[in-house]
Amino acid sequence: MPQPVTYRGMTLVVPDNDSEWKEYFEHARQHRLALRACAACGLLRYPPTHACPWCMALEWTWREVSGRGTIYSYEIVVHAIQPGFKDAAPYPVVLVELDEQRGAPTPDEALRIVANLVRPDFTPEDEKSVAIGKRVRVVFQDLADHLALPQFTLTDEPAAGRVWRLPG
Amino acid sequence: MKTLRDRYGIVGVGETEYSRGSNRTTRAMAVEAVRKAILDAGLTAADVDGMMSYQNGDSTPANWVAPDLGIRLNFYMDVVGGGSSTEALIGLAMGAIEAGMCSTVAIFRSMNGYSEFRIGGTGVRAAQPVRGLDLAQVPFGMRSAGQNFALTFMRHMYEYGTTSEQVAHVKVAHSKHASQNPKALLKERVTVEDVVGSRWIVKPLHLLDCCLETDNATCLIVTSAERARDCRPRPVYVMGVAGRVNKPRTDFHWAHGPITRVAGHYARDIVFGQAGIGPEDVDVTGSYDAFTFTTMLQLEEYGFCPKGEGGAYVSSGTIELGGKRPNNTAGGHLCEGYTHGMSMVIENVRQLRGTVDDYCPGAADGVHTYDYGPGRCRQVRDAEIAMNLGWAMPPTGSALILRR
Repeated sequence: MPQPVTYRGMTLVVPDNDSEWKEYFEHARQHRLALRACAACGLLRYPPTHACPWCMALEWTWREVSGRGTIYSYEIVVHAIQPGFKDAAPYPVVLVELDEQRGAPTPDEALRIVANLVRPDFTPEDEKSVAIGKRVRVVFQDLADHLALPQFTLTDEPAAGRVWRLPG
Repeated sequence: MKTLRDRYGIVGVGETEYSRGSNRTTRAMAVEAVRKAILDAGLTAADVDGMMSYQNGDSTPANWVAPDLGIRLNFYMDVVGGGSSTEALIGLAMGAIEAGMCSTVAIFRSMNGYSEFRIGGTGVRAAQPVRGLDLAQVPFGMRSAGQNFALTFMRHMYEYGTTSEQVAHVKVAHSKHASQNPKALLKERVTVEDVVGSRWIVKPLHLLDCCLETDNATCLIVTSAERARDCRPRPVYVMGVAGRVNKPRTDFHWAHGPITRVAGHYARDIVFGQAGIGPEDVDVTGSYDAFTFTTMLQLEEYGFCPKGEGGAYVSSGTIELGGKRPNNTAGGHLCEGYTHGMSMVIENVRQLRGTVDDYCPGAADGVHTYDYGPGRCRQVRDAEIAMNLGWAMPPTGSALILRR
């Protein structure tokens, strides 16, 4: 069984029988953002669940995605509650909408992932640079031989639609 | 639509003191709250044969609480859950009675929510390993309720132009109501400037946008309308109930937008359909205020105003005592104390009885001044229909409509 990983005071546990996350994080450790694609209808899904939420099929394949997307919403944690995050605050948490499968299979659906918005050295991005509509790409924060966290960083692409951040 | 409208009632309510250090067990508090509710109903231990509770591994089960009071149970059920459980369990209690499993059910929530098991993985839960679905959020410093919900409010601000100042009015209103509530932990009235000037917790939420954490127990008693008419207090009848209604993809609700839509979008037709009324018929609301904006989101989703106009609605004076449709007249979770929702149902029961426990000398007999100045009255005049909008998370909620 893989050893638990200590990160910012947390113990992250992905045991061999974690049939949702084990392979997801192994792909991440290879610096690939891979999602489950339904073998029957082909739709991608996140998180990596066992049945297709649209057709109930149980079979899937892992499919690598571009890791590019747009900030759909965000928050700035000023008062960290996890001891290991105290020295990181204020830090942004972003909800990233991936470019693949936007508005499918219905207009309100998309592949959205929660992560931190980080600089190249994985420190928190300055909150003044965080805004809904800004373009981002995935980067991988290696934590152990078998575990890396997909994070996101700003790109220099033009924004997608209206750019908005909390006033102040 | 199948409905049990007016065939069940809430006949007893009770609660312990709200504190930040009960210095006793959840069992002791539950016993006190259940006892008070039984006495409030004018019943005896022998009249109660069903008991339900909700908890998150932080409380005492019903079959330990009942025997303390000499109650022998024909039915009990302890469910995992927090906010939105109260309304759901009222519906389940009606179902258990309807099925002939028991006749009268006490529903309680007992929690040392400040001194022992705090919300959001602090306190005794801080050292728990992160595994399973938590891996999708917790490693990124997203663990507390505020951190879990803030993305929803931020997107609402983006889509609809909602402002911090608008939702601050929820805290202002609830603090006004709490100033008329002897039980409330925070009785001081605050202003919009106080709210938006308080320190940031997780942007866009300030400290005063967030609810309290408290130690307390609450209880209410459900029975048939026939039995309710024989109880001591004026009966309060259940017109409609919706329990733990979900959006799609509740495991990771961000997958199914719009993320500014909450569970009430799906619950409203169930609960209003049973009751045969609409939002305009409701005199008092209890919209769950884990945060200022959760009250706002639910009021608009249930149709008290058009979707997206919740900011204008909650800042219009409508939700304050003296306004058209006051919300959380005891002060709610923002000011009275945190109960995972039950206190808001208890308050609406008292409103419909006309015997809200405010500072009016004749309150117990239903004699009120309707002077909503600080430290005075919080009874809504002639309240006939009250509604609770229970919140667990953006994608999960419950609802309850009561009438006198």
